[in-house]
Formats: sequence, structure tokens, C-alpha cells
Amino acid sequence: MKPHRAGLLASGSALLVLLAACGGSSHPASQKQSGNQVFTYDTSAPVMVDGWDPATEYSDGILAMSNMYETLTRYDAATHTIKPQLATSWSSSANGLSWTFHLRHGVHFHTGRLMTAQAAAAAILRTQKMGGGAGYVWDAVKTISAPSPDTMVFHLKYASPLDLEASASYSAYIYDTQAAGGGSLTKWLNTPHDAGTGPYTLQTWNKGQEFEVILKAFPGYWGGWSGAHYKKVVYRVVPQDTTAAQLLRSGQVDFVEQISPALWKSFQGQAGIHTMSVPSFQNLLSQLNARTLTLPVRQAISYGINYPGIVAALQGAAVTPSGLVPAGLPGHFTNLPNYHYDPAKADQLLHQAGYGPGKKTLNLTLTYTQGDSNEQVVVTLLKSSLAKLNINLSTQSLAWPTQWAKAKSASASSHQSIFLEYWWPDYADPYTWFTNLLQTEKSPYFNLSYYSSSALDKQINQVESLLATNRPAGVQLYRTMQAEVLQQAPLDVLYNVNYQYAMRTSFTGFQPDPAYANVVFAYNLRPTGS
Amino acid sequence: MIEAPSPAAETALALPRGQALWHGLRANPLLVAGGLTAVLIIVVALFAPLLAPFPGDAGTATHPFLVLRPPSTRHLFGTDQVGRDVLSRVLYGARISPLVAVIVLLIACVVGIPLGIAAGYFGGWVDEVIMRVTDIFLAFPSLLLALALAAVLPASLTSLTIAIAATWWPWYTRLIRGQAASVSGRAYIDSCRVLGIRPWRIILRHVLPNSVTPLTVQVSLDVGGVILTASALSFLGLGAQDPTPDWGLMVAEGQNYFTTDWWVVTFPGIAILVTAFAFNLLGDGLRDLLDPKRSLLP
Repeated sequence: MKPHRAGLLASGSALLVLLAACGGSSHPASQKQSGNQVFTYDTSAPVMVDGWDPATEYSDGILAMSNMYETLTRYDAATHTIKPQLATSWSSSANGLSWTFHLRHGVHFHTGRLMTAQAAAAAILRTQKMGGGAGYVWDAVKTISAPSPDTMVFHLKYASPLDLEASASYSAYIYDTQAAGGGSLTKWLNTPHDAGTGPYTLQTWNKGQEFEVILKAFPGYWGGWSGAHYKKVVYRVVPQDTTAAQLLRSGQVDFVEQISPALWKSFQGQAGIHTMSVPSFQNLLSQLNARTLTLPVRQAISYGINYPGIVAALQGAAVTPSGLVPAGLPGHFTNLPNYHYDPAKADQLLHQAGYGPGKKTLNLTLTYTQGDSNEQVVVTLLKSSLAKLNINLSTQSLAWPTQWAKAKSASASSHQSIFLEYWWPDYADPYTWFTNLLQTEKSPYFNLSYYSSSALDKQINQVESLLATNRPAGVQLYRTMQAEVLQQAPLDVLYNVNYQYAMRTSFTGFQPDPAYANVVFAYNLRPTGS
Repeated sequence: MIEAPSPAAETALALPRGQALWHGLRANPLLVAGGLTAVLIIVVALFAPLLAPFPGDAGTATHPFLVLRPPSTRHLFGTDQVGRDVLSRVLYGARISPLVAVIVLLIACVVGIPLGIAAGYFGGWVDEVIMRVTDIFLAFPSLLLALALAAVLPASLTSLTIAIAATWWPWYTRLIRGQAASVSGRAYIDSCRVLGIRPWRIILRHVLPNSVTPLTVQVSLDVGGVILTASALSFLGLGAQDPTPDWGLMVAEGQNYFTTDWWVVTFPGIAILVTAFAFNLLGDGLRDLLDPKRSLLP
């Protein structure tokens, strides 16, 4: 998956708080401030929950993997351009069916092997063959040839924006497919090991522990280590916002990924701490079960949600959405036929379906991810606004793996009426909202509305190709698709997320990029020693 | 050594029951304080709809444009993370935690007393079976066992009550069993048996009435304990669910705000503290009052 930016049991949090209060950590990373060589990233949930294989990892592992692995290109949201990474330049044929990438010289994998066009092609073809995670980003690729050690030529089945897709935050990594020798690469990676080209390599993985992942500098990194750089990166799991805030105040962590809006505001103007609020490509979705909820009921729910109230209650961490696609991505429009809070309209639609005030109570179930205080607030508000419509919402907070397993279970009776989850793109493109969340699936995976529309499926299959060859038409098709989705209401975008970061002023160089959700590229940071 | 009776005890023994009770209460102001606070909590619980300034806030009402407002004349305890009046929810919370405690203790008594009496009166294999089962339950720390049970049940007040009750009855079984065994060995019980009186009649008429006094004290002492346990489980997300105005749940939901918006957790926290403290004082006082060695009652 992905949709997860928090999610430990509240009980776990309480126990961690208790343990933290009972005694300090004896872990070496807790003493890192003296050397100023260690960058500590505070995250509310475990990082490596989806395995260590860069082909299939599809969750918060992005936080660490983005520092161990590299892609051919990297998207720059500030300029809306695609920048070189492992590829220094690229070009495409006029019909968009052939792409040539020129690779950087002298890049070595952490295994010691030289990265060549053949090695890079092997990684991409393995990822494509495995088809896990965001492997679909390589769906357009028919063959890859390597006319020279530093030149890759992609031959596509259909036109596709390959330079953008190659910048994906998942499943676009270039890695050494020979790392395990003759053995199973997946098994070797999950031992765990890494086989990337990035500036950092895995030092330790303490599964289930507070200091979960520790990365160390890879001496042979092609970018070199001259100048000020962090030599270690620590991912510290602190589920409790208040504990994270105290750790930041005391300098025991350098960067806090997620914190409640109230706490985030408390850092503003505080010496030694810098706050940053940035728009993201992430939104919170409520997926409505299209198999059990009729169209009028789905539309009634969409009209019955107090969207301005949710945005107000989240105090700056949320932005009113328009359509599925957040601002900054192609396909975002501010003038879509969005739902607005209209209890009278909702009441009218429910009456059509035999429900509503004065009629039969509509009993619905909602599942959401444990441990996220913002989701908790949203759920309470949803319950409140739907109760006015005589909709009784029974809510259940679950650890993400449980929530997801229940939703994609083969038994439809265990499916929820409403599934709450965060979603963000795999690369700077709206495609994932449609292909993952709305395209017909034989067995539910991420289409947890269980929605099926042959017309929409057809449009989804066309849109990326159209975007690559005729961008205005592609963008317009995204508009048409969103209008249909809004009308059919298989899901609601409750709000777009504003990332609210708090960090020590002991470093510079952090550039948030919504295309890489919450990733800090540690190599770009410059410790100032203060 | 034979201790001479104290003059006070002599005086009390000579007093009628009403006066002795008055003397007992005067001698134990903490019992009075605990009792009055407990009565106040019960009054608040009964009249919460009249006392709460915003009764709807104890239910599904929310006010997203009024979130996290500090205490003011309009909202004496401030508002929470979804804009609800904290005072109203704290007042309504008096209907939740004490009620959970009463139900838990009732279940524990209903299960624990008959088993304890049976074990103590009949002895032999009945005693062995009942007490070994009891020992199994007592082998686990009660909070841990309640936590495990609550975790496997759907999160709700009913599950919470069942989980705590399941860990509470063995204590009562053990306590009653000791008392019943002691009473059953007395000569007058033997006389009853010799006269051919049926066991159930002996139990109901003689063993039970003479065994439950220590339990009365224990139950009054346990009210505070159950409230704290219920609050702890709700804090861990294993009890009441929003929007139920359960104090433990309110503390849990407000924990992310306690350094910035202190009122969200402070007032429900104080409510838990005061209630548990009041019932503990009441239990301590009752113990003193009912203890034949210390009581002034005839």
C-alpha cells in the first residue's frame, strides 16, 4: 500500500510514553547530538512495514529507501520540472514510443558493482515482472536495449511520459539485481540488505523498536562527501505527538514528520526550531462501498459531510479540495462540480432511498487507521454530521494492515461501508487516483469502494497515453473522469493535506517536495553545528 | 495479654444504634467527605441533563468552528478538539464510569459469592475445583487480563464491563470462601446439619449472612479501583467509543493536546481522580465503621 502515515495501537503509544518516562534510552543514537553527524527523523509509525525489496515496497519505507536508492530522474515540484538523477539526459521520439536515457558515469551500487545500462535495465525489468508496489509505472515498457554501457533505450507499447514515470517514489529504483549472486534476491534484500546507489546504505534495522532504521554514509557515493553532510540517518518511531514534540524541543530529534496542528503551532517563533507548512499531493479519502450503498445514498453521504468544518477543525493541516487531484498536478481544476455541505439535499436523497430523519435509520460502518489524531477528529465530525441525517456510523480504528486486510477480504460481508485512508501519487501525476482506486478489480486491492464502471475503465486506459502525446486533451480527459467520479460518488475527498513540519535549525537545505511524500533527502542537508 | 476495653468502646457499647452511628461518623470525617462526594457524583449523574450547559455535546453534536477554546464564561471547562463543551461532557461522564463500576461489582458478586460459598461450605472436590479455577484467573495481573480480554472483544462499554468483571470475581470468590469455610465449621452450623436442615437453607439462612460483611467493605473499596481500571482501558482505546462522554476516553483523545490545550484532559482527569478518591474514602470509612474490633456500632 501506501495510504498510511500513522498507525500504531494507541496502547502501544501509551506504553511507549510510559517507557520513555521511566528511563532514557541507552541507544547510541540518542547520544548523537555531540557529534552532529547524525540526522534523526521522527516518524509516528514504523518505516519498514512492507519489506525491503525496492521493486515492491509500497508504504512508509519510502522515507528510508529514498536515501538508499536512486531513480533515473527526479521530479522537482518547485519548478515542475524533471531533473537528472542517475540519468544525466534523455530524449524521446516524436511519437513518444521510444525514449533514450544517458546514464551517469562511475556510479557504483552499494554491492560494489558498477551501474551500467544493462544493470539498470535488469532492475527495471525485474520490477516490471514482479508487478508489485507501483510496478505499473513501467507498464508501457515493451523492451529495453543497452547500445552502450551508459545508454538505455526504452521501446514502449504505447506513448507514455517515461521521464516522469522514471522519477516515481516507488518501484522506480535502480538496484543491483546480481546482489544475491545465484540466490533469491528478494530473500537477500529482506534479510535485510540494500543494493542501491544512493548516498546512504543500511547499517541496522531494529524491527519493532524505537530506533528502527539506521543508515550510514556510503563512502563510494558518486556525489562525494566533501563539505558538510550527515554521516548517519536515524528513523526514530515515536507514535505520541507530545513525546515527539518534547524530543524535538530537547534536540533529540532533528525533524518531526507529523504532529498535531496545535503542537505544530506551539513551535512557531520558538528559538532553535523552524516550522514549515507546505501544500502536498496527499488527500484523505472516504471510499464508499458502491456494492452496498446505492447511488442516492452515496450522494447523500457526500452532501452530508461538513467539509468546511473538517478543514476548520484541523487548523491549517487541511485544505478544501476540488476533485480528486490536488493542486500542482495536471488535472487539477478549481471549478469541478464538487460536493458541498448541504444537509437539505442529503436529506432529500436519503428520503428517495427510504432513509433519513423520520424514516428508517441507516446503519453504516467505517474503518480508519489507528494512531492518527487528525483522522480521529475527522471521524468524530463525520459521525456528528451524518447523525443529523439519521445515519448511525459505527466506527472502528484498526492498525493499517488489519484495516486493509478486512477491506480486501474475499468475504464481502466483512467489508466496511466507508474506508478512510490517505492517498498520494507515486509520481507527479494524477493517474494513481484513478487506476488504483477506481479501476475495476476482480479481487479488491486498493479499489476499496468496489466501484466498477466500464466507461471509466476505458478512459483510465487511455489517459496517460493521451497525456504523453496531446497534453491538453489528456488534462481535459482527467477533468471528464473527475466529473463522472463526482457524480457517481464512489469516494469523497475530505481534504487535501498540508504538511506541517517542525525541525531543528541545526541544519539547512531541506526542500520539501510533495512528489516524495514526507521524504527528507538527507544528503542535501547541511549540518550547521548550531 | 488481655486488653482492657477502652472507655470509648464501653460508652459506645452502651449507646443505642443511631447514636453510635452518629458517633462513628463524627469520629471519621473522611468517611463523611467521601460519602458526600459520592452522593454529589450520583446527583450530578442523575441531573446531568439539567446541569450541563450544552447537553447535546455529550452526544453526537460537534462544533468544528469552536475547537480548543480555553475556559471562558461560556465554556467554563473550555472546548475539545471538535468544539464540544468539556464541562457538559464531564458532567455526563458521571453517568458512565460509576455505572460501569456498579455493574462490574454486581457481576463480580453474582458470580463470586455463590462460588465462594459453595467452595467454603462443601469443601472437598467442590472446593478444589472452584479454587483452582480461581487460582488460574488470579495468576494473571488483573489489569493485564482485562486488557487482553478487552482487546479481543469489540471496543465498547459492554465489552469493557465484561472484561473487568471477568477479572474481578475471583477475588470475591476467594474472600467469601474463607469466610464461609470459617462459618461452616462453627458448632451452630453442625447443629443445623444434625437436625437435618437442607444445605441450601443452611447456606441462605446462616452461612451467607455471616460471610458477606467483609465483602460489603471490599465492594465499597473496589468502586474506585474499577473506575480507574475502566478509565485505563478506555484510555487505551479498548472501552467506550466516541462520542460517549467517558472520562478515560476523553483523556485518551485529549492526550495530544495536553501541552498546548491543557483543559481538554485536565478536567476529565480531575473527575476520575475525585471519583476514585471519594469512593476509596467511603470504602475506608465503611471498613472502620463495620470492623467489629474498631467500630463504635453495637
